[in-house]
Amino acid sequence: MKKTKLLFGMGILAVVGAVLVAADHIDAPGTTGNTADIADFYGFESPSNPENTVFIVDLQTDVLPDLAYGPFDENVLTEINIDTNDDLIEDLVIQAIPRKDTMYFFGPVIPAETGKMSEVMVGSPLGQVAISGESALTTTTEDGISLFAGPRQDAFFFDFGQFNKVIGGTAPEGFLPEGEAVDTFDGANTMALVIEIPNSILGETTAKNALGLTVYKTWVTTNRKQ
Amino acid sequence: MKIHTLKYMFLSLCAATMFVACDDDDALEMVETTCTDGIMNGTETGVDCGGTSCQPCEDGGGDADGDGDDMMVTPPDFSGTYAQVDFMGRPGINTVLSIPDFKDPYNQAVPSTIAEFYQKDFENRLEGLHDVYAELLGLNPEDVNYQPNILGDILNGPEKDGFTDNPVSAELLTTILANDVLEVAPDLPTTYFNPGTGAPNYEGAIGLTGRTLQDDVIDVSLILLFGGGDGARFNGQEVEGVGTFPRLVSDGVAITAEPTSTFPYLGAPE
Repeated sequence: MKKTKLLFGMGILAVVGAVLVAADHIDAPGTTGNTADIADFYGFESPSNPENTVFIVDLQTDVLPDLAYGPFDENVLTEINIDTNDDLIEDLVIQAIPRKDTMYFFGPVIPAETGKMSEVMVGSPLGQVAISGESALTTTTEDGISLFAGPRQDAFFFDFGQFNKVIGGTAPEGFLPEGEAVDTFDGANTMALVIEIPNSILGETTAKNALGLTVYKTWVTTNRKQ
Repeated sequence: MKIHTLKYMFLSLCAATMFVACDDDDALEMVETTCTDGIMNGTETGVDCGGTSCQPCEDGGGDADGDGDDMMVTPPDFSGTYAQVDFMGRPGINTVLSIPDFKDPYNQAVPSTIAEFYQKDFENRLEGLHDVYAELLGLNPEDVNYQPNILGDILNGPEKDGFTDNPVSAELLTTILANDVLEVAPDLPTTYFNPGTGAPNYEGAIGLTGRTLQDDVIDVSLILLFGGGDGARFNGQEVEGVGTFPRLVSDGVAITAEPTSTFPYLGAPE
Protein backbone atom coordinates (compact mmCIF):
# COMPACT_ATOMS: atom_id res chain seq x y z
CA MET A 1 0.00 0.00 0.00
CA LYS A 2 1.39 3.33 -0.96
CA LYS A 3 1.33 5.60 2.04
CA THR A 4 0.61 8.69 -0.02
CA LYS A 5 -2.47 7.13 -1.60
CA LEU A 6 -3.82 6.02 1.74
CA LEU A 7 -3.34 9.46 3.18
CA PHE A 8 -5.14 10.99 0.24
CA GLY A 9 -8.10 8.67 0.76
CA MET A 10 -8.27 9.46 4.42
CA GLY A 11 -8.05 13.10 3.57
CA ILE A 12 -11.26 12.83 1.61
CA LEU A 13 -13.00 11.22 4.55
CA ALA A 14 -12.10 14.20 6.66
CA VAL A 15 -13.43 16.93 4.41
CA VAL A 16 -17.06 16.06 3.91
CA GLY A 17 -18.15 19.55 4.85
CA ALA A 18 -15.90 21.20 2.35
CA VAL A 19 -16.99 18.91 -0.43
CA LEU A 20 -20.63 19.56 0.32
CA VAL A 21 -20.44 22.97 -1.26
CA ALA A 22 -17.87 22.11 -3.89
CA ALA A 23 -20.15 20.49 -6.43
CA ASP A 24 -20.58 22.07 -9.82
CA HIS A 25 -24.27 22.82 -9.74
CA ILE A 26 -24.15 24.37 -6.32
CA ASP A 27 -20.66 25.68 -6.73
CA ALA A 28 -17.83 27.02 -4.69
CA PRO A 29 -17.87 29.03 -1.52
CA GLY A 30 -16.93 32.16 -3.44
CA THR A 31 -19.91 32.07 -5.77
CA THR A 32 -22.55 30.10 -3.89
CA GLY A 33 -25.63 32.21 -3.34
CA ASN A 34 -24.11 34.85 -5.58
CA THR A 35 -25.95 36.47 -8.49
CA ALA A 36 -23.08 35.43 -10.77
CA ASP A 37 -23.28 31.75 -9.81
CA ILE A 38 -23.63 29.53 -12.88
CA ALA A 39 -25.80 26.52 -12.08
CA ASP A 40 -25.81 24.81 -15.46
CA PHE A 41 -25.09 24.98 -19.16
CA TYR A 42 -26.78 23.12 -22.03
CA GLY A 43 -26.17 23.11 -25.79
CA PHE A 44 -28.23 21.06 -28.23
CA GLU A 45 -29.72 20.84 -31.67
CA SER A 46 -33.12 22.50 -31.76
CA PRO A 47 -35.91 19.89 -31.62
CA SER A 48 -37.93 21.97 -34.07
CA ASN A 49 -35.22 22.95 -36.54
CA PRO A 50 -32.01 20.93 -37.06
CA GLU A 51 -30.39 24.02 -38.58
CA ASN A 52 -30.54 25.77 -35.20
CA THR A 53 -28.53 25.34 -32.00
CA VAL A 54 -29.99 26.04 -28.56
CA PHE A 55 -27.91 27.31 -25.64
CA ILE A 56 -29.31 27.43 -22.10
CA VAL A 57 -27.52 29.05 -19.16
CA ASP A 58 -29.01 28.59 -15.69
CA LEU A 59 -27.96 31.04 -13.00
CA GLN A 60 -28.62 31.03 -9.25
CA THR A 61 -30.50 27.81 -8.55
CA ASP A 62 -32.59 27.91 -5.37
CA VAL A 63 -32.12 24.24 -4.59
CA LEU A 64 -30.99 24.98 -1.06
CA PRO A 65 -32.68 27.59 1.12
CA ASP A 66 -29.62 29.79 1.41
CA LEU A 67 -28.92 29.87 -2.30
CA ALA A 68 -29.97 32.82 -4.42
CA TYR A 69 -32.80 32.88 -6.91
CA GLY A 70 -33.21 35.95 -9.07
CA PRO A 71 -33.45 38.64 -10.12
CA PHE A 72 -30.81 39.10 -12.79
CA ASP A 73 -27.94 41.39 -11.76
CA GLU A 74 -27.21 44.43 -13.96
CA ASN A 75 -23.54 44.20 -13.01
CA VAL A 76 -23.18 40.63 -14.25
CA LEU A 77 -22.37 39.93 -17.89
CA THR A 78 -23.05 36.35 -18.96
CA GLU A 79 -20.92 35.15 -21.85
CA ILE A 80 -21.24 32.01 -23.98
CA ASN A 81 -17.77 31.35 -25.37
CA ILE A 82 -17.33 29.45 -28.64
CA ASP A 83 -14.04 27.99 -29.87
CA THR A 84 -14.10 27.13 -33.57
CA ASN A 85 -10.44 26.22 -34.19
CA ASP A 86 -9.69 23.81 -31.34
CA ASP A 87 -7.28 25.94 -29.32
CA LEU A 88 -9.73 26.27 -26.39
CA ILE A 89 -9.63 30.06 -26.73
CA GLU A 90 -12.89 31.76 -27.55
CA ASP A 91 -13.23 32.87 -31.17
CA LEU A 92 -16.80 34.10 -30.75
CA VAL A 93 -18.88 35.24 -27.82
CA ILE A 94 -22.60 35.65 -27.28
CA GLN A 95 -23.30 38.01 -24.41
CA ALA A 96 -26.34 38.72 -22.25
CA ILE A 97 -26.77 41.54 -19.73
CA PRO A 98 -29.93 42.97 -18.16
CA ARG A 99 -31.07 46.59 -17.91
CA LYS A 100 -34.31 47.28 -16.04
CA ASP A 101 -36.92 44.86 -17.39
CA THR A 102 -35.02 43.83 -20.51
CA MET A 103 -32.25 41.33 -21.28
CA TYR A 104 -29.93 42.54 -24.03
CA PHE A 105 -28.00 40.08 -26.18
CA PHE A 106 -24.87 40.79 -28.27
CA GLY A 107 -22.84 38.77 -30.80
CA PRO A 108 -21.89 36.27 -32.00
CA VAL A 109 -18.81 38.43 -32.36
CA ILE A 110 -15.05 38.20 -32.00
CA PRO A 111 -14.49 39.48 -28.45
CA ALA A 112 -12.45 42.61 -27.78
CA GLU A 113 -10.36 40.55 -25.40
CA THR A 114 -10.09 36.81 -24.73
CA GLY A 115 -9.62 35.28 -21.32
CA LYS A 116 -10.88 36.60 -18.01
CA MET A 117 -11.68 40.22 -18.90
CA SER A 118 -14.60 41.24 -21.09
CA GLU A 119 -16.44 44.24 -22.33
CA VAL A 120 -19.94 44.43 -23.72
CA MET A 121 -19.78 44.27 -27.51
CA VAL A 122 -22.27 47.08 -28.01
CA GLY A 123 -21.45 47.35 -31.71
CA SER A 124 -22.85 43.86 -32.34
CA PRO A 125 -26.40 43.84 -31.01
CA LEU A 126 -28.15 40.51 -31.41
CA GLY A 127 -31.54 41.27 -29.92
CA GLN A 128 -33.38 41.86 -26.71
CA VAL A 129 -36.27 40.33 -24.81
CA ALA A 130 -38.46 41.42 -21.92
CA ILE A 131 -37.48 39.53 -18.75
CA SER A 132 -40.25 37.06 -17.98
CA GLY A 133 -42.21 36.47 -14.84
CA GLU A 134 -43.97 33.14 -14.39
CA SER A 135 -45.18 33.10 -17.99
CA ALA A 136 -42.55 32.91 -20.67
CA LEU A 137 -42.10 36.04 -22.78
CA THR A 138 -40.08 35.22 -25.86
CA THR A 139 -39.03 37.05 -28.99
CA THR A 140 -37.70 36.03 -32.36
CA THR A 141 -35.52 38.48 -34.27
CA GLU A 142 -35.57 39.13 -38.01
CA ASP A 143 -32.55 36.83 -38.26
CA GLY A 144 -34.49 33.93 -36.78
CA ILE A 145 -32.89 34.07 -33.33
CA SER A 146 -35.22 33.25 -30.42
CA LEU A 147 -34.53 34.73 -27.00
CA PHE A 148 -35.75 34.17 -23.45
CA ALA A 149 -34.69 35.38 -20.00
CA GLY A 150 -36.43 34.62 -16.74
CA PRO A 151 -37.24 32.09 -14.03
CA ARG A 152 -37.73 28.46 -15.09
CA GLN A 153 -37.57 25.00 -13.60
CA ASP A 154 -34.10 23.74 -12.80
CA ALA A 155 -33.88 20.69 -15.06
CA PHE A 156 -30.78 19.22 -13.40
CA PHE A 157 -31.33 15.95 -11.52
CA PHE A 158 -28.99 14.36 -9.02
CA ASP A 159 -29.10 12.68 -5.62
CA PHE A 160 -26.79 15.27 -4.14
CA GLY A 161 -27.35 14.20 -0.53
CA GLN A 162 -26.26 10.63 -1.20
CA PHE A 163 -23.39 11.89 -3.35
CA ASN A 164 -21.96 13.71 -0.37
CA LYS A 165 -22.12 10.52 1.69
CA VAL A 166 -20.50 8.57 -1.13
CA ILE A 167 -17.73 11.05 -1.57
CA GLY A 168 -17.29 11.34 2.18
CA GLY A 169 -16.80 7.60 2.53
CA THR A 170 -19.84 7.14 4.78
CA ALA A 171 -21.98 5.17 2.32
CA PRO A 172 -20.51 1.68 1.88
CA GLU A 173 -23.46 0.85 -0.39
CA GLY A 174 -22.71 3.77 -2.70
CA PHE A 175 -25.71 5.42 -4.35
CA LEU A 176 -29.23 4.28 -3.58
CA PRO A 177 -31.26 2.15 -6.00
CA GLU A 178 -33.98 3.58 -8.18
CA GLY A 179 -37.01 4.31 -6.07
CA GLU A 180 -35.02 5.02 -2.93
CA ALA A 181 -32.79 7.69 -4.39
CA VAL A 182 -33.98 11.31 -4.15
CA ASP A 183 -33.59 14.05 -6.75
CA THR A 184 -32.30 16.93 -4.66
CA PHE A 185 -33.23 19.36 -7.44
CA ASP A 186 -36.89 18.35 -7.68
CA GLY A 187 -38.92 21.55 -7.35
CA ALA A 188 -35.94 23.90 -7.69
CA ASN A 189 -36.05 26.94 -9.93
CA THR A 190 -33.31 28.91 -11.62
CA MET A 191 -32.83 32.13 -13.56
CA ALA A 192 -32.48 30.99 -17.17
CA LEU A 193 -31.14 32.51 -20.37
CA VAL A 194 -32.19 30.66 -23.52
CA ILE A 195 -31.06 31.43 -27.04
CA GLU A 196 -31.87 29.51 -30.21
CA ILE A 197 -29.68 30.57 -33.09
CA PRO A 198 -29.25 29.43 -36.71
CA ASN A 199 -25.93 27.64 -37.23
CA SER A 200 -25.39 29.87 -40.26
CA ILE A 201 -25.00 32.82 -37.86
CA LEU A 202 -22.63 30.89 -35.59
CA GLY A 203 -20.46 30.16 -38.62
CA GLU A 204 -18.08 27.35 -39.49
CA THR A 205 -16.03 25.36 -37.04
CA THR A 206 -13.03 23.10 -37.56
CA ALA A 207 -12.85 21.84 -33.97
CA LYS A 208 -13.26 18.08 -33.44
CA ASN A 209 -14.37 16.02 -30.46
CA ALA A 210 -12.81 12.75 -29.28
CA LEU A 211 -14.85 10.81 -31.84
CA GLY A 212 -13.63 13.02 -34.69
CA LEU A 213 -16.96 14.81 -35.09
CA THR A 214 -17.07 18.49 -35.95
CA VAL A 215 -18.19 20.52 -32.94
CA TYR A 216 -18.27 23.94 -31.41
CA LYS A 217 -16.32 23.85 -28.16
CA THR A 218 -18.33 25.96 -25.77
CA TRP A 219 -18.33 27.18 -22.19
CA VAL A 220 -20.06 29.87 -20.23
CA THR A 221 -18.66 32.51 -17.91
CA THR A 222 -20.17 35.16 -15.70
CA ASN A 223 -18.28 38.40 -15.39
CA ARG A 224 -18.81 41.16 -12.85
CA LYS A 225 -18.43 44.86 -13.64
CA GLN A 226 -15.26 46.28 -12.12
CA MET B 1 -31.23 73.36 -32.36
CA LYS B 2 -34.16 71.06 -31.87
CA ILE B 3 -33.58 67.46 -32.75
CA HIS B 4 -36.54 67.52 -35.12
CA THR B 5 -35.16 70.45 -37.05
CA LEU B 6 -31.78 68.87 -37.27
CA LYS B 7 -33.34 65.66 -38.45
CA TYR B 8 -35.26 67.29 -41.29
CA MET B 9 -32.23 69.28 -42.37
CA PHE B 10 -30.29 66.07 -42.49
CA LEU B 11 -32.99 64.24 -44.40
CA SER B 12 -33.11 67.08 -46.92
CA LEU B 13 -29.39 66.91 -47.35
CA CYS B 14 -29.60 63.18 -47.88
CA ALA B 15 -32.38 63.54 -50.40
CA ALA B 16 -30.49 66.17 -52.32
CA THR B 17 -27.34 64.13 -52.36
CA MET B 18 -29.09 61.04 -53.57
CA PHE B 19 -31.08 62.96 -56.17
CA VAL B 20 -27.99 64.06 -57.99
CA ALA B 21 -26.13 60.81 -57.63
CA CYS B 22 -28.69 58.11 -57.23
CA ASP B 23 -26.97 55.80 -59.65
CA ASP B 24 -23.69 56.09 -57.88
CA ASP B 25 -22.84 53.91 -54.89
CA ASP B 26 -20.44 56.57 -53.68
CA ALA B 27 -23.35 58.77 -52.89
CA LEU B 28 -24.58 56.35 -50.29
CA GLU B 29 -21.18 56.24 -48.69
CA MET B 30 -21.27 59.99 -48.33
CA VAL B 31 -24.27 59.68 -46.04
CA GLU B 32 -22.27 58.68 -43.04
CA THR B 33 -24.35 57.66 -40.09
CA THR B 34 -23.00 57.34 -36.60
CA CYS B 35 -24.30 56.23 -33.27
CA THR B 36 -23.17 59.43 -31.58
CA ASP B 37 -24.48 62.21 -33.82
CA GLY B 38 -27.65 62.90 -31.87
CA ILE B 39 -29.80 62.08 -34.89
CA MET B 40 -31.93 59.09 -35.72
CA ASN B 41 -30.35 57.98 -38.97
CA GLY B 42 -29.21 54.89 -40.79
CA THR B 43 -31.10 51.90 -39.51
CA GLU B 44 -31.47 53.38 -36.03
CA THR B 45 -34.89 53.03 -34.45
CA GLY B 46 -34.25 55.74 -31.84
CA VAL B 47 -31.74 58.55 -31.55
CA ASP B 48 -28.34 56.86 -31.76
CA CYS B 49 -29.75 53.49 -30.81
CA GLY B 50 -31.38 50.44 -32.34
CA GLY B 51 -30.90 49.09 -35.84
CA THR B 52 -27.99 47.05 -37.08
CA SER B 53 -25.01 49.08 -35.91
CA CYS B 54 -25.90 50.93 -32.70
CA GLN B 55 -26.64 49.84 -29.17
CA PRO B 56 -30.22 48.75 -28.59
CA CYS B 57 -32.71 51.41 -27.51
CA GLU B 58 -33.45 51.27 -23.82
CA ASP B 59 -37.22 50.94 -24.19
CA GLY B 60 -36.75 48.40 -26.92
CA GLY B 61 -38.96 50.17 -29.39
CA GLY B 62 -37.28 53.35 -30.48
CA ASP B 63 -39.61 55.21 -32.76
CA ALA B 64 -41.01 52.01 -34.13
CA ASP B 65 -44.45 53.49 -34.70
CA GLY B 66 -43.03 56.52 -36.45
CA ASP B 67 -45.05 59.05 -34.48
CA GLY B 68 -41.97 60.75 -33.17
CA ASP B 69 -43.07 60.74 -29.55
CA ASP B 70 -40.44 58.35 -28.31
CA MET B 71 -37.46 59.46 -30.32
CA MET B 72 -35.51 60.68 -27.34
CA VAL B 73 -34.85 57.22 -25.96
CA THR B 74 -31.20 56.73 -25.14
CA PRO B 75 -29.10 53.60 -25.21
CA PRO B 76 -28.48 51.94 -21.85
CA ASP B 77 -25.00 52.21 -20.42
CA PHE B 78 -22.97 49.05 -20.96
CA SER B 79 -19.58 50.68 -20.47
CA GLY B 80 -16.80 49.33 -18.32
CA THR B 81 -14.83 46.16 -17.98
CA TYR B 82 -16.15 42.89 -16.60
CA ALA B 83 -13.98 40.32 -14.83
CA GLN B 84 -14.68 36.59 -14.75
CA VAL B 85 -16.42 35.29 -11.63
CA ASP B 86 -17.64 31.83 -12.57
CA PHE B 87 -16.97 29.30 -15.31
CA MET B 88 -18.62 26.13 -16.56
CA GLY B 89 -18.23 23.82 -19.52
CA ARG B 90 -18.74 20.07 -19.33
CA PRO B 91 -21.36 19.06 -16.75
CA GLY B 92 -20.56 16.78 -13.86
CA ILE B 93 -16.80 17.20 -13.93
CA ASN B 94 -16.37 19.48 -10.99
CA THR B 95 -19.12 17.61 -9.22
CA VAL B 96 -17.21 14.37 -9.14
CA LEU B 97 -13.62 15.50 -9.42
CA SER B 98 -13.47 18.69 -7.39
CA ILE B 99 -11.26 18.78 -4.35
CA PRO B 100 -11.30 21.04 -1.31
CA ASP B 101 -10.20 24.63 -1.91
CA PHE B 102 -10.38 23.86 -5.59
CA LYS B 103 -13.53 25.45 -6.93
CA ASP B 104 -12.87 29.10 -6.24
CA PRO B 105 -9.60 29.20 -8.17
CA TYR B 106 -11.07 26.83 -10.76
CA ASN B 107 -13.86 29.30 -11.47
CA GLN B 108 -11.16 31.79 -12.39
CA ALA B 109 -9.57 29.44 -14.88
CA VAL B 110 -9.80 29.44 -18.68
CA PRO B 111 -10.14 26.20 -20.68
CA SER B 112 -6.84 26.56 -22.49
CA THR B 113 -4.87 26.19 -19.26
CA ILE B 114 -7.13 24.06 -17.06
CA ALA B 115 -5.55 20.75 -18.02
CA GLU B 116 -2.11 22.16 -17.29
CA PHE B 117 -3.08 23.25 -13.78
CA TYR B 118 -5.68 20.70 -12.71
CA GLN B 119 -5.27 17.42 -14.60
CA LYS B 120 -3.01 15.89 -11.95
CA ASP B 121 -5.43 16.91 -9.18
CA PHE B 122 -8.27 15.27 -11.09
CA GLU B 123 -6.26 12.08 -11.55
CA ASN B 124 -5.31 11.95 -7.87
CA ARG B 125 -8.90 12.57 -6.93
CA LEU B 126 -10.09 9.75 -9.16
CA GLU B 127 -7.62 7.30 -7.67
CA GLY B 128 -8.35 8.61 -4.18
CA LEU B 129 -12.05 7.85 -4.56
CA HIS B 130 -11.20 4.28 -5.51
CA ASP B 131 -9.01 4.05 -2.41
CA VAL B 132 -11.91 5.12 -0.20
CA TYR B 133 -13.94 2.14 -1.39
CA ALA B 134 -11.01 -0.21 -1.16
CA GLU B 135 -10.77 0.66 2.51
CA LEU B 136 -14.50 0.30 3.06
CA LEU B 137 -14.32 -3.15 1.48
CA GLY B 138 -11.27 -4.07 3.51
CA LEU B 139 -9.11 -4.33 0.41
CA ASN B 140 -5.66 -3.07 -0.36
CA PRO B 141 -6.10 0.35 -2.04
CA GLU B 142 -3.32 -0.52 -4.42
CA ASP B 143 -5.45 -3.34 -5.80
CA VAL B 144 -8.51 -1.19 -6.39
CA ASN B 145 -7.44 1.35 -8.93
CA TYR B 146 -9.26 3.09 -11.74
CA GLN B 147 -9.74 0.72 -14.67
CA PRO B 148 -9.80 1.97 -18.27
CA ASN B 149 -13.37 2.68 -19.24
CA ILE B 150 -15.75 1.93 -22.10
CA LEU B 151 -14.64 4.97 -24.06
CA GLY B 152 -11.43 3.16 -24.87
CA ASP B 153 -13.29 0.26 -26.42
CA ILE B 154 -15.55 2.59 -28.33
CA LEU B 155 -12.66 4.58 -29.70
CA ASN B 156 -10.23 1.74 -30.30
CA GLY B 157 -12.10 -1.54 -30.33
CA PRO B 158 -12.47 -4.03 -27.47
CA GLU B 159 -9.57 -4.56 -25.18
CA LYS B 160 -7.87 -7.87 -25.84
CA ASP B 161 -7.28 -9.46 -22.49
CA GLY B 162 -3.68 -9.17 -21.56
CA PHE B 163 -2.48 -8.18 -25.00
CA THR B 164 -3.66 -4.68 -25.75
CA ASP B 165 -3.77 -1.97 -23.18
CA ASN B 166 -6.93 0.04 -23.24
CA PRO B 167 -5.58 3.50 -23.96
CA VAL B 168 -7.97 5.49 -21.78
CA SER B 169 -5.83 5.56 -18.68
CA ALA B 170 -6.73 7.63 -15.63
CA GLU B 171 -4.26 10.20 -16.89
CA LEU B 172 -5.75 10.36 -20.38
CA LEU B 173 -9.34 10.40 -19.16
CA THR B 174 -8.70 13.19 -16.72
CA THR B 175 -6.77 15.09 -19.37
CA ILE B 176 -9.78 14.90 -21.70
CA LEU B 177 -12.17 15.86 -18.93
CA ALA B 178 -9.93 18.62 -17.66
CA ASN B 179 -10.42 20.56 -20.88
CA ASP B 180 -13.87 21.14 -19.45
CA VAL B 181 -15.73 22.45 -22.48
CA LEU B 182 -19.12 21.35 -23.77
CA GLU B 183 -18.85 20.09 -27.32
CA VAL B 184 -21.87 20.86 -29.50
CA ALA B 185 -22.12 19.50 -33.05
CA PRO B 186 -23.83 21.88 -35.46
CA ASP B 187 -24.68 19.22 -38.03
CA LEU B 188 -25.65 16.19 -35.95
CA PRO B 189 -28.44 15.30 -33.54
CA THR B 190 -27.49 15.86 -29.93
CA THR B 191 -26.52 12.83 -27.88
CA TYR B 192 -24.57 13.38 -24.69
CA PHE B 193 -23.42 9.78 -24.67
CA ASN B 194 -24.95 6.46 -25.67
CA PRO B 195 -22.79 3.32 -25.43
CA GLY B 196 -24.83 1.51 -28.10
CA THR B 197 -25.11 -2.24 -27.62
CA GLY B 198 -22.68 -2.15 -24.74
CA ALA B 199 -19.76 -4.45 -24.01
CA PRO B 200 -17.79 -5.80 -25.70
CA ASN B 201 -18.34 -4.21 -29.13
CA TYR B 202 -20.45 -1.14 -28.37
CA GLU B 203 -22.15 -1.32 -31.75
CA GLY B 204 -23.82 1.99 -32.55
CA ALA B 205 -22.10 3.96 -29.81
CA ILE B 206 -22.69 7.66 -30.39
CA GLY B 207 -22.41 10.87 -28.51
CA LEU B 208 -20.32 13.82 -27.44
CA THR B 209 -22.43 16.09 -29.65
CA GLY B 210 -23.92 18.27 -26.96
CA ARG B 211 -26.15 18.11 -23.92
CA THR B 212 -29.94 18.14 -23.81
CA LEU B 213 -32.10 18.86 -20.79
CA GLN B 214 -32.99 15.18 -20.48
CA ASP B 215 -29.45 13.77 -20.58
CA ASP B 216 -28.40 11.96 -17.41
CA VAL B 217 -24.97 13.53 -17.26
CA ILE B 218 -24.25 12.34 -13.74
CA ASP B 219 -24.80 8.69 -14.63
CA VAL B 220 -22.62 9.01 -17.73
CA SER B 221 -19.86 10.66 -15.69
CA LEU B 222 -20.06 7.95 -13.05
CA ILE B 223 -19.92 5.16 -15.67
CA LEU B 224 -16.80 6.66 -17.22
CA LEU B 225 -15.12 7.13 -13.85
CA PHE B 226 -16.17 3.97 -11.98
CA GLY B 227 -17.65 1.60 -14.59
CA GLY B 228 -14.39 0.08 -15.78
CA GLY B 229 -14.17 -1.93 -18.97
CA ASP B 230 -17.81 -3.06 -19.03
CA GLY B 231 -19.39 0.07 -17.59
CA ALA B 232 -20.72 -1.72 -14.50
CA ARG B 233 -17.66 -2.47 -12.40
CA PHE B 234 -19.04 -0.87 -9.23
CA ASN B 235 -22.73 -1.60 -9.52
CA GLY B 236 -23.87 -2.92 -6.16
CA GLN B 237 -23.14 -6.51 -7.10
CA GLU B 238 -22.04 -9.35 -4.82
CA VAL B 239 -18.45 -10.42 -5.38
CA GLU B 240 -17.48 -13.74 -3.92
CA GLY B 241 -14.89 -13.49 -1.20
CA VAL B 242 -15.06 -9.71 -1.10
CA GLY B 243 -18.61 -8.66 -0.30
CA THR B 244 -21.05 -6.26 -1.86
CA PHE B 245 -19.51 -3.71 -4.15
CA PRO B 246 -20.78 -0.14 -3.81
CA ARG B 247 -23.20 1.20 -6.42
CA LEU B 248 -21.19 3.96 -8.08
CA VAL B 249 -22.27 3.93 -11.74
CA SER B 250 -25.73 5.50 -11.29
CA ASP B 251 -27.18 7.87 -8.72
CA GLY B 252 -30.57 6.23 -9.17
CA VAL B 253 -32.58 9.30 -10.17
CA ALA B 254 -34.17 10.34 -13.46
CA ILE B 255 -35.36 13.78 -14.49
CA THR B 256 -38.17 15.23 -12.36
CA ALA B 257 -38.45 18.64 -14.07
CA GLU B 258 -40.76 18.95 -17.07
CA PRO B 259 -38.97 20.36 -20.11
CA THR B 260 -41.05 21.11 -23.19
CA SER B 261 -40.37 20.49 -26.87
CA THR B 262 -40.88 24.14 -27.76
CA PHE B 263 -38.89 27.28 -27.01
CA PRO B 264 -37.76 28.11 -24.32
CA TYR B 265 -37.78 24.36 -23.54
CA LEU B 266 -37.52 24.70 -19.73
CA GLY B 267 -40.70 24.20 -17.72
CA ALA B 268 -42.52 27.05 -16.01
CA PRO B 269 -41.19 27.87 -12.53
CA GLU B 270 -42.77 25.95 -9.68
